[in-house]
Amino acid sequence: MRIKKILVVDDEKAIYAYLERKLSKLGYSVCTAENGEEALSQAFKERPDIILLDVKLPKLNGIEVCKRLKSSDMTKQIPIIMLSAKAQSDEITAGLKAGADRYLCKPISFPDILQEIRAYEK
Amino acid sequence: MTTGKLIMNKKGKQSGPVLGIFPKLLLFFLVLSISPLIVLGYMANKNMAQTGLESKAIVTGMGENNMKAAMGIGKVAIEDSVHALDDKSRETIELRTLELALRIADFLYERDNDLRVLATFRPDPEKYRLAYLSSTKDVIVPRNLPREAPSGDSIGLTWSNPTNRIGWHHRPPDDFNRISKPIYKEITFIDLLGNEKIKVKNGHISNNLKNVSRKENTFCKAEDYFPRLSSLKKGEIYVSRVIGAYKQGWLYKSPEGIKVKPESAHAGKENPLGDEFEGIIRWATPVYEDGKKTGYLTMALDHIHVMEFTDHVVPTKERFSELSDGGSGNYAFLWDDQDQCISHARDFFICGYDPETGEEIPGWLSQNTYDEYKNSGLSLKAFVERLPSFRDFSQKKGGSKDQLQSGEIALDCRILDTAPQCEGWHRGTEDGGAGSFLILWSGLWKLTTYAAVPYFTGSYGSSKRGFGYVTIGANVNDFHKAANKTRESIEYSIALQEQDIRSANEKASALIDDSAERNRRLITAITVIAVLSVICAAILLGLNITRPLKRLTEGAVAISRGDLDQQIEVRSRDEIGQLAKSFNEMANAVAEVDRMKSEFVTIASHEFRTPIHAMLLGVSGILEGYAGEINDETREDLQVVNDGIARLMVLVENLLDLSRIESRKFELNTARISVKNIIKNAVSEVSQLIEAHGHVAIERYSSKLPDIYVDGERMSQVVVNLLSNSIKYTPEGGRILIGAEEKGNDIVFSVADNGYGIPLAAHDKVFERFFQADSIMSQRVGGSGLGLTIAKGIVEEHGGSIYFESPISAGRFPDLPLGGDRKGTVFFVHLPMKKERISEV
Repeated sequence: MRIKKILVVDDEKAIYAYLERKLSKLGYSVCTAENGEEALSQAFKERPDIILLDVKLPKLNGIEVCKRLKSSDMTKQIPIIMLSAKAQSDEITAGLKAGADRYLCKPISFPDILQEIRAYEK
Repeated sequence: MTTGKLIMNKKGKQSGPVLGIFPKLLLFFLVLSISPLIVLGYMANKNMAQTGLESKAIVTGMGENNMKAAMGIGKVAIEDSVHALDDKSRETIELRTLELALRIADFLYERDNDLRVLATFRPDPEKYRLAYLSSTKDVIVPRNLPREAPSGDSIGLTWSNPTNRIGWHHRPPDDFNRISKPIYKEITFIDLLGNEKIKVKNGHISNNLKNVSRKENTFCKAEDYFPRLSSLKKGEIYVSRVIGAYKQGWLYKSPEGIKVKPESAHAGKENPLGDEFEGIIRWATPVYEDGKKTGYLTMALDHIHVMEFTDHVVPTKERFSELSDGGSGNYAFLWDDQDQCISHARDFFICGYDPETGEEIPGWLSQNTYDEYKNSGLSLKAFVERLPSFRDFSQKKGGSKDQLQSGEIALDCRILDTAPQCEGWHRGTEDGGAGSFLILWSGLWKLTTYAAVPYFTGSYGSSKRGFGYVTIGANVNDFHKAANKTRESIEYSIALQEQDIRSANEKASALIDDSAERNRRLITAITVIAVLSVICAAILLGLNITRPLKRLTEGAVAISRGDLDQQIEVRSRDEIGQLAKSFNEMANAVAEVDRMKSEFVTIASHEFRTPIHAMLLGVSGILEGYAGEINDETREDLQVVNDGIARLMVLVENLLDLSRIESRKFELNTARISVKNIIKNAVSEVSQLIEAHGHVAIERYSSKLPDIYVDGERMSQVVVNLLSNSIKYTPEGGRILIGAEEKGNDIVFSVADNGYGIPLAAHDKVFERFFQADSIMSQRVGGSGLGLTIAKGIVEEHGGSIYFESPISAGRFPDLPLGGDRKGTVFFVHLPMKKERISEV
């Protein structure tokens, strides 16, 4: 599959702005959300090819967002890469249980993130 | 908490015997409570014994006092009863004496009447004969057969009406042989010249008439009454003294006492066949015819009738006897107004006249006085007539032996100076009275009574003594018999009482001993019970204190092991309860702190990661050229930043690990894994670093190593940490040996280096948090100073142990070049192989 559009969800503007800038420069169409509710609406509205989802989010957390997206026929095929500062095994398990396709622990380098996204293009 | 846990995980056993609170309490209670109890028990026992002894002394003393009192009372009672009986006996005998005297006086006055009546008649022989025959009186004539004397107690006859039974005494009449005997020996009428005109004698009118003015014609040639008659007025009466022939008698000493010789005069039982004293008392009064005195009527009383009054009286229970007994000392006798004996059990004691000469026989003198008489040159009669009455009377004097031998021993009280009682009688009858006194006579105490005979006719009226006096002698012992009997019975009852008191004393003593023994046992039992109670109380109290303490200790240990959910049941409000409450509060606080810490670590790690993430994103993007081409200088500078980010990340991870280890939130993902893989993973992780330092790492394994159940990643982390340590502290180009071998039940990992070694002063601190040895290398390799602490934590979570040796002992690792300042360090990790031990954690 060809990835054109990426939804980046993070409550830190510095993070999602950086990723938006770098990924757009690399030719991706990037949309962003800085809370759970916005993430859901963006996901349904923009129909991204992949979602980079932070876990710790205001309003609705990443786990919940992931669950809802994976439970909707419209969005359940969208790969979700969870990015979280929560690195404990129970947290990882909770993320994977919620339907996340990948669970990456912060901090992670930009080249590593890019590598993960490109892995879905093959 | 951490420290506590680490201590507990070491060999947490205390060394040497330590006395706990419980045995201390028990010991304390025993010493404090039992010692006074034992002292108390001992004292009580001692006191009891003392009390027993004192009680015994008191009881014995009381007994003795009772005994003394009883004996004292007994003595007093005896004295009193003897006195009472003596008084009674004395009064009885006194009364008897007095009545005897009165009866004699009456009898004599009857004679006055006889005389007066007969004098009123014209003298007539036939009338005189009738008067003679009609005047008789019974006298007791002893039978030949000796008779049993009546005892005086109740004999034969008893009461007929029960009312009279109390104190019934009966005495049959004395069965004496009595014969009637004329009262007078003769009745005469004599004319004014002394010629007998009528004479009745022996019941016949006598023709043998004599002139009585001549003494030789009178009775015993001793009568001198005629010269005294002329002075008698009408109705006046002359009464002579007792006139009779003296009857001799002889006394002698025999082993049984004094005896009377058979040839002597009659002496009652002592000599019943001897001649009796025969005497008369002559009464005379003028006879008038037609107013003219024609002569004199005389009546000669047979003296036997006077003697009869006293001869049968016995002052004992016998009362009367046919024959008196002079030897017994119990008899009555009679004295005339001149104190001469006129009636006596022994007739030879009665004063009389020599019938040949009509001379009076002088009375018995003491030997002293008799000797005096012999020296006087006077006749005995003349000497005696001159002898003052009652001169120098004394019992110490003995009777004259000459008179004893001659058989003339009449008793004339005025001169009988061996017998002081004579003086007593004389003195006692001076005023005509009666009485008694005691005298020791012939070795026997005698009660002697006296009573004047109140007969005052004729010359007998010249003194209040009258006719004379009756005396009764009584052996005190005889009438003491009753008293002595009383004394014996009282003494017997005292002896009985003494015995009773003695046995009562013994019983009381035994009782006291017994009760003392029982009390002793009781006190011992009480002491034992009290001691046991104290021990029980101490145990209960000890348990009460130590049980909650034990619970607290267990709780504290559990908390130190990480089981923070510890609550101790609080039952009491006392100090122990307070402690438990405080403990619970502390446990809650600890749990809260622990929760907060975990929370903090979680939050902190997240909060650290986010900015680090931002930095990493930026720096990594630039370094990889996503921000355009960069020159070499920029790249090198950014690489410094990137290294810092990496170190920060390691630090965060280590802190998180440490926090988890310490809060026991550390989770082990145990799985079967080969020892070699653990080491290889670790070595590959640090291979770049090893290379960078120019070290050579050598792996060594024993040929057959088993798989073990551990958290592979964590164990690799341990090895990584150890390797990192060696890498940091070994100068470049060092050598690092990594090995594993099986030792007993353990797998032993070892990481050795030939660095400078760990200085001795730092040995204790190696596993402490943030400890970093002072090394020039540290700056270059970085490191948080948490690696060894985390390694130790992971190993111990697996139930293993970690330790080190520095400097390394020579020869332990032959291919590890050591020497000089390269002392080397080797860390050993022991991991138990047992599956259970691993999974248990």
